[in-house]
Amino acid sequence: MRELLSRASTKYTRRSARKKGLDGRTLYPLLWILPSVALMVAIVVVPIVDLFITSFSEVGLSGLREGFNGVENYVSLFQDPVFPRVLINTLIWTVAIVGITIILSLGIASLLNEKFVGRRLVRAALIVPWAVSLLITAVIWKWIFDFRYGTLNLILKELGIIEKNVNWLAQPATSFPAMIAVGIFVSLPFTSFVLLAGLQAISAELYEAARVDGANRWKRFVHITLPQLRPTLTVAVVLNTIYVFNSFPIVWAMTRGEPLNKTDIIFTYLYKLGFEERQLGVAAAVSVISFLILIAFSASYVWFVTRREN
Amino acid sequence: MLNAVRAQKAFIAVVSFTLLVAMIFPYGIMLLTSLKSKDTIYSIPPTFFPEKWVFKNYLDVWTVVPLSHYITNSVLLASGSTLLALICAIPAAYALARMRFPGRRIYLYAVIATQIFSPIVLLVGLFREMLWFGLMDSLWALVLINGAFFQAFAIWILSGYFASIPYSLEEAAWIDGCTRLGAVRRIVLPLALPGLVTTVIFVFIQSWNEFVVALTLIFTETKKPLTVGIFSFFGRYDVDWEYVFATSLIATIPVVVLFLVIEKYLVSGLTSGGVKE
Repeated sequence: MRELLSRASTKYTRRSARKKGLDGRTLYPLLWILPSVALMVAIVVVPIVDLFITSFSEVGLSGLREGFNGVENYVSLFQDPVFPRVLINTLIWTVAIVGITIILSLGIASLLNEKFVGRRLVRAALIVPWAVSLLITAVIWKWIFDFRYGTLNLILKELGIIEKNVNWLAQPATSFPAMIAVGIFVSLPFTSFVLLAGLQAISAELYEAARVDGANRWKRFVHITLPQLRPTLTVAVVLNTIYVFNSFPIVWAMTRGEPLNKTDIIFTYLYKLGFEERQLGVAAAVSVISFLILIAFSASYVWFVTRREN
Repeated sequence: MLNAVRAQKAFIAVVSFTLLVAMIFPYGIMLLTSLKSKDTIYSIPPTFFPEKWVFKNYLDVWTVVPLSHYITNSVLLASGSTLLALICAIPAAYALARMRFPGRRIYLYAVIATQIFSPIVLLVGLFREMLWFGLMDSLWALVLINGAFFQAFAIWILSGYFASIPYSLEEAAWIDGCTRLGAVRRIVLPLALPGLVTTVIFVFIQSWNEFVVALTLIFTETKKPLTVGIFSFFGRYDVDWEYVFATSLIATIPVVVLFLVIEKYLVSGLTSGGVKE
């Protein structure tokens, strides 16, 4: 028993020394992150390096590299008349979905911040599009938008809003907005819940004080809610932008970017290039470009936030 | 004044009901369509409700597609991915919460960066790597990739939970002769249980729902997970919507139930949790 105690105590002193790094074992914590780092290097870092190399290489149909070919992949990418359209689509796609989602989510979060009968039910319903696979939700909407048999045309006709069926997903003028609507639909839950958490963190005393000073509802919203919510809003915008920019299943399930690549966003375009046309080199160039866009976006976000804090 | 309150209540009631209907609407359509006969689905004019409720679709779908394979594959790959993510994330999250070490900040940035790059950005690189590893058409590839990308979320949530547990509890355990690892196992993990459950369920669902990587790397029909399996209905001339939606519903129900369980913890974890620099 005494032996045990003394062993325990020496262990303890040794460990606390280790904690302060006095025994030269400051590398000990690295053991703890080793598995995580190994996995990250293997599955994230290696492919990134490979992407850059591949984007400057000739790649065979099998996916194997056949030597460097300079900037040829980039040249053929920028010569593709479709590519500018894809970039513009991606920009519209991201800005429209994020912008409208944030505005709607502010309303939804304010609603859920009130007490009313059935609030738990509404909360539960709002969870559903977040939980369900993006692909499944997109497939359902594809069916709802169906030209002949879809529910949307059925309802609109019953209500007398349209006389003839609309072929929603056949032309870009209707299919792209339709897909943006679906993008908003699936982004609402996450954004609303994040903003709701932000709203609930605002102290009630602030509102109380404003009410005493005679501020009306709108003034309270502009002068208290919005400024207090700013950090949460930033997080919501950034995370949303990243998710939306990355979203693939919606377009893939609903139009596949057709007709004539007119509804492609960058990742459906990338997928078709790489895995249908088997031009992996050019697809790697697209990946590198989207990689750089994401880096630039995230870096400017970090810069923006740290500058504000200083 | 009373009228204003009443008007506000009515307004809230209308808006919340609209929201409720809008969120449930597509999934209601999924349910209704999955119970229609093929004739009803392709009838003009279409009908909103099934003419005859065909519950048999849910039996037939098992023979129309290799559904039991799809489900088994989804369960396997989601469990594997979750396990891998946890094995890597628990010690890493603990180190971030409790220790100072060289490169900590860089590691933290790397974790955040993984969240920024979804697998689709790296798809070409991942494809070539798995080709090289000989992991094409293998669920192992999906486990590795999901595990690697979803561990970031796990590290993020868990280190927040670990940091909230008083250090003195661990120190007391060391005095009682516990090793550091023993203290993590006996003290930290049980106390962080809500965080662990949230992480497990969230990573499981994300892997269950994953589509792009599986679409790219899996070819064999019997190796496909549910998401890709559902999509394979679309190559055909006419889509068997009743089966698409029966399969989708089977794939969806467990996920939604699990999600409702963790919703409360998830949102607070996402917003307030996280790592101090």
